Amino acid sequence: MESMQLDQIDVKPQLLTGSNENSSSESESQKVTELEILPVIYEIIRSIEKDPVDNATKQKESQDCSQKVLELQKRLESARITIRQLPGIEYSKEEQLRRLESLRKQLALKQQLIKKYKNVQF
Amino acid sequence: MSSYHLSTKERLLAIVDDIEIISKELIENTIAPKHQKMSSADHGQLVELLVSKDKELKATLQLAAEQAGIEKKMNGLREQVKEQDEEINQLQKQLKEAEQILATAIFQGRQKLTSINKAAKRPVSSEELIKFAHRISASNAICAPLTWQQGDLRRPYPTDIEMRLGFLGKSDLNINGHGQMPNSQNNSLNEMQQRNAGAGAGSGVVDIPASAQNQFAWHPSGELHMTVGAGAGSVSLDTRSHKDASQDDVEVMSTDSSSSSSSDSQ
Repeated sequence: MESMQLDQIDVKPQLLTGSNENSSSESESQKVTELEILPVIYEIIRSIEKDPVDNATKQKESQDCSQKVLELQKRLESARITIRQLPGIEYSKEEQLRRLESLRKQLALKQQLIKKYKNVQF
Repeated sequence: MSSYHLSTKERLLAIVDDIEIISKELIENTIAPKHQKMSSADHGQLVELLVSKDKELKATLQLAAEQAGIEKKMNGLREQVKEQDEEINQLQKQLKEAEQILATAIFQGRQKLTSINKAAKRPVSSEELIKFAHRISASNAICAPLTWQQGDLRRPYPTDIEMRLGFLGKSDLNINGHGQMPNSQNNSLNEMQQRNAGAGAGSGVVDIPASAQNQFAWHPSGELHMTVGAGAGSVSLDTRSHKDASQDDVEVMSTDSSSSSSSDSQ
């Protein structure tokens, strides 16, 4: 039953990785990197449910299973690392927009200052 | 729990942790022996929770992508702000320099104005100054004459005799109790002058500087006068060791005063 539900999941989260390369040509393709956690979980559960009868296949299955569990852990860890490397997410969106606004104001003020002093008639 | 104050990074990491926990729970439940299994409803709920967490992760990643775009804009703005900062610093430096230069110029200008005002209160004609300069340097006490050769007995400094006849020498005598003897001094002065006029370059006596005597008075017209005799009044004195040809030199010099150093060279 669970596997059926998991089968219906075809949602694959999109992940933005700006981590390794910064060239603009790669940034577009990096946006489509997929983080597939759910399929791995689905595979683990399915292989547990298979429950073969003979011993040899059972051994093989359990080995596969443990490998998949390790795979799951690796996926989760890499997801965390990638998230940490994403740019611009130190603040919530509202905070970031506030900062953007204050930066704009700062720039405008400074430009005004320079303009004022450059145009003074001595 | 409100996640509005959490940064996007924290939200993402929390979602990943949640997914991990739920998946662990699911797998443990799947492999648990029958009597420890939870109801299928609970299991189903867990699965739904897992799915919703996954959706949340996707949405939050979308948000992170938008924020990354905003961050790019902010970086561009920061660059511009940095440029403006540098420009402001440059401008400040230049203004400071300009202020310093102007302050110095004003100060020097004021000084010049005060000295101009001071000079204007007591004006002296340039001809007078040149004549005076000529007189005090005519005895070659300032610098040696151009025709000076090795063996010439004239000296480019005020000599012993000249110093004794000068103001310092006379004031010393007064302090020591010797009285003033104007007549004898006059006579000695005249004698010396005559000797010089006659002897020329071969004489061992040098000229007496005109400005050094007590008997000399500086008249308002600018001429140097010397008291001669007892009641003969004062006579204008020219300190000349040479013949009258030098008088032309004096007059030439004074007419050429415009070309000499009469302009203020400050």
